[in-house]
Amino acid sequence: MKSLSELTDFYYKELYPSLNELEKTRMQIISQLKWYGGMGAVVFTLTAIWMGKNFGLFHPLMIAVAIGFIVLASITYRFMTQGYAKDFKSKIITPLIGAIDSNLLYNPDFMISQHLFERSQLFNHKVDRYNGNDYVKGSIDGVPLEFSDVHAEYQTKDSKGRTQWQTLFRGLFLVAEFNKYFKSKTVILPDQAEKNFGTLIGGWLQSINFSRDDLIRLDDPEFEKAFVVYGNDPIEARYILSHSMMKRILEFQKKITHPLFVSFVHNHIHIGIGTKKDLFEPAVFTSLLDFKQAMEYINTLRYTIGLVEELKLNEKLWSKE
Amino acid sequence: MQIALIILGVLSIIAILIYNSLIGKKNQVENIFAGVDTVLKKRFDLIPNLVASVSQYMEHEKSTLEKVTELRAQAMKPGISDEQKISLDAQLTSALGAINIAMEAYPDLKANENVMHLQRSLNEIEEQISAARRAYNQAVTDLNNAIEMFPTNIIAGWMNLQRKAVFEITVSERQNVDVGALFNK
Repeated sequence: MKSLSELTDFYYKELYPSLNELEKTRMQIISQLKWYGGMGAVVFTLTAIWMGKNFGLFHPLMIAVAIGFIVLASITYRFMTQGYAKDFKSKIITPLIGAIDSNLLYNPDFMISQHLFERSQLFNHKVDRYNGNDYVKGSIDGVPLEFSDVHAEYQTKDSKGRTQWQTLFRGLFLVAEFNKYFKSKTVILPDQAEKNFGTLIGGWLQSINFSRDDLIRLDDPEFEKAFVVYGNDPIEARYILSHSMMKRILEFQKKITHPLFVSFVHNHIHIGIGTKKDLFEPAVFTSLLDFKQAMEYINTLRYTIGLVEELKLNEKLWSKE
Repeated sequence: MQIALIILGVLSIIAILIYNSLIGKKNQVENIFAGVDTVLKKRFDLIPNLVASVSQYMEHEKSTLEKVTELRAQAMKPGISDEQKISLDAQLTSALGAINIAMEAYPDLKANENVMHLQRSLNEIEEQISAARRAYNQAVTDLNNAIEMFPTNIIAGWMNLQRKAVFEITVSERQNVDVGALFNK
């Protein structure tokens, strides 16, 4: 994989013509947005004054009008930035991924399959709505992997019978082949109970979690503090989670500030990073030439694809060929 | 009278729960030891092969190779106790580690496909054994804690449960893993 400086060079040198072009589009969109925004504000103020005179300022109709304006504004914004986002993905992200590794395929509209997401057993809840985008598939150092943005939701009913959508997981989801054979299931989740209730009571609460397999306590205190591990085979769980693997996962967790979910099922490693946002959505109000913004795109890609090296999934130390 | 009965009832329920959890812990230890035994046996099966393949190259390590063969023979004897198995395993691990390090000095060995394959298999089994040991140690620690801590120690005393020994993780074993990783690079 290319180094960070090589990629930064690539971004600013090779992609410069595309960046410039996109930057022009962005400026146009902003000026259009300002124009529409200004018009909208004037129309809204006039409507508000007229309504205020006829119905009073806090009339229910007033709220309806306000909501109407907000909806209209967001639709306009979406509509106007849609093409820009699409161009950004095809002209910037696609070559960037190609530069990181030519074995990788990128599809902005596709996502990791729901089957893989559910197979991971990381989230013990029925998924009612499943969305995603920015799908990358390929192999790094001979390790097959795929990842994408995922937004999984489930439905609940409130006391009045209205349906509400609750987010189960939103963020980056990655599946890669693991370098050891195993038959069991091992699930690693962020440790909430021990953080909130302390080791003794938290540990006891974790051990009586009926929706999960047996609690597996591991011999790395720092890892134990950050994560809780469930599995159906205590020996295989430790075969997968060797001391060095626990250290690597812990180090990765320290690097990213988002909650980390890892599971080992079906000879594959499944990793969920709860970023709570989309990966490669360009922000219209920040320039693509902005260094910080550029680094964010490059770093996200590097961290994700670099996971193979980070977790040493490419080390074919074992008899698995 | 009624209060006494209630207290008696609650106490007996607690006693039953403790008894069952102790039995569960004891069985877990036995269960995992069976797993340890399986992987240890896997390693025993590989040893004659390894010794036969490397002995023609490794003239200076004859004594170590003989020691490995002898340890294997001892460990394969029927009717040895768990504690003995644990101590034999530790000796075998350090002897195999010594062979592993010594192999570095023989370029011919590294070129030998068969030996390399054995080496990889041993590495993998070594990792499995380490995992099994860690699982066993955790199960034993759980049991030992229950045997010594209040109030489970009272019932454990009646049941005549004994503390079990854990596998010592030796320094040489840690090195062993590192050498294996170097070797394959």
